[in-house]
Amino acid sequence: MKDELAKRLVQGLKDAGINFVTYLPETRLSQIVPLIRDDPDMELIAVANESEAITIAAGATLGGKQAAVYMENTGIYTSCYSLLTVGKQLGVPLLLVIAYLGGVPDLRNSFLYATIGKHSIPVLQGLGIDHRVLEDGDRLEIKITDAVRAANSLRAPYALLFAGEFSE
Amino acid sequence: MIRYECLQLLASKMSNQLVVTSQSGQRIEWSHLSRHEGNLLVGMMGCAIGVATGLALALPHRKVIALDSDGSVLLSLFNLATLGNLRPKNLVVYVFDNGVYSGSRISYPTATAGNTDLTAMARGAGIENAQTIRDFEEFKKAGIDALSKNELGFYVCKVEESLLHREIPRPNTDLAENKYTFVRYLERTEEKTIPFVGRG
Repeated sequence: MKDELAKRLVQGLKDAGINFVTYLPETRLSQIVPLIRDDPDMELIAVANESEAITIAAGATLGGKQAAVYMENTGIYTSCYSLLTVGKQLGVPLLLVIAYLGGVPDLRNSFLYATIGKHSIPVLQGLGIDHRVLEDGDRLEIKITDAVRAANSLRAPYALLFAGEFSE
Repeated sequence: MIRYECLQLLASKMSNQLVVTSQSGQRIEWSHLSRHEGNLLVGMMGCAIGVATGLALALPHRKVIALDSDGSVLLSLFNLATLGNLRPKNLVVYVFDNGVYSGSRISYPTATAGNTDLTAMARGAGIENAQTIRDFEEFKKAGIDALSKNELGFYVCKVEESLLHREIPRPNTDLAENKYTFVRYLERTEEKTIPFVGRG
């Protein structure tokens, strides 16, 4: 991902009100990590498993933060239980910022990731979590704001899957 | 040591603390003992410590308490490493360790009935103030003192398997109802709006 796109992504999160981010590092969107860490208006919390990225972000949301969870799509699988019980059952809005490894528009796709990518959207659908795939920076800020508004309105996690230019 | 007696004592000490429980016998017992609006009765195992951590980070001036079980901690051991590094000073975790998965009909041993020591694991994960409480006298002192300390506390309370939770009526508060009661309580006591609630 080009640095300019990373800056727009983080600014888009800020403009949408995101002020608390839990994450487990991955490569494709990794330029956003130092930008969030250095932003005094955003709190960045490193975790050991995406499952707790969901629960910690959910707790922060109930405590008044507007939270996002940044993870690779493998994290969808490890966090299914938290997404369903805390995200959906309890009804807590979260923005999921997901690097869409192995999806068809993933520019770095390979046999390592293709199976992971193939099942990501069906799993989200199975969990009843709405999503949008972003492949370029067109109207990026608006799409992020729309996603946060959707999460808040639905009282549920909403997933943005980043591929295409974001996976360069 | 009997869990219900510990919870009974703890309930008598509550004022404006926020209490998060996982799904297990203590969720039933705590909801029976405390009707406080600052209770968040999370409906499944393995999620309470995470939610409590998020609350503690979002509200660093509020004391947050997680009431958890050995089964739940074993289900989400990664929480220990994260807590050991975050060390939120306003969070106290009580793990009521009865060594069994004790549902409405089952009673099967957990790993702590064998060789596993959650206190040692928590310490190894970086939680400096992790300790085992083995009797009620110790709980009355160390367990209750934790409420007034300004540091992360992780107390593994070794309790007998009690079947009391099978006799107490389960809470009939819907999860969403509990969530909104909790959020409205926070809005009132924090004098701020929780963003996602919004206006219709």
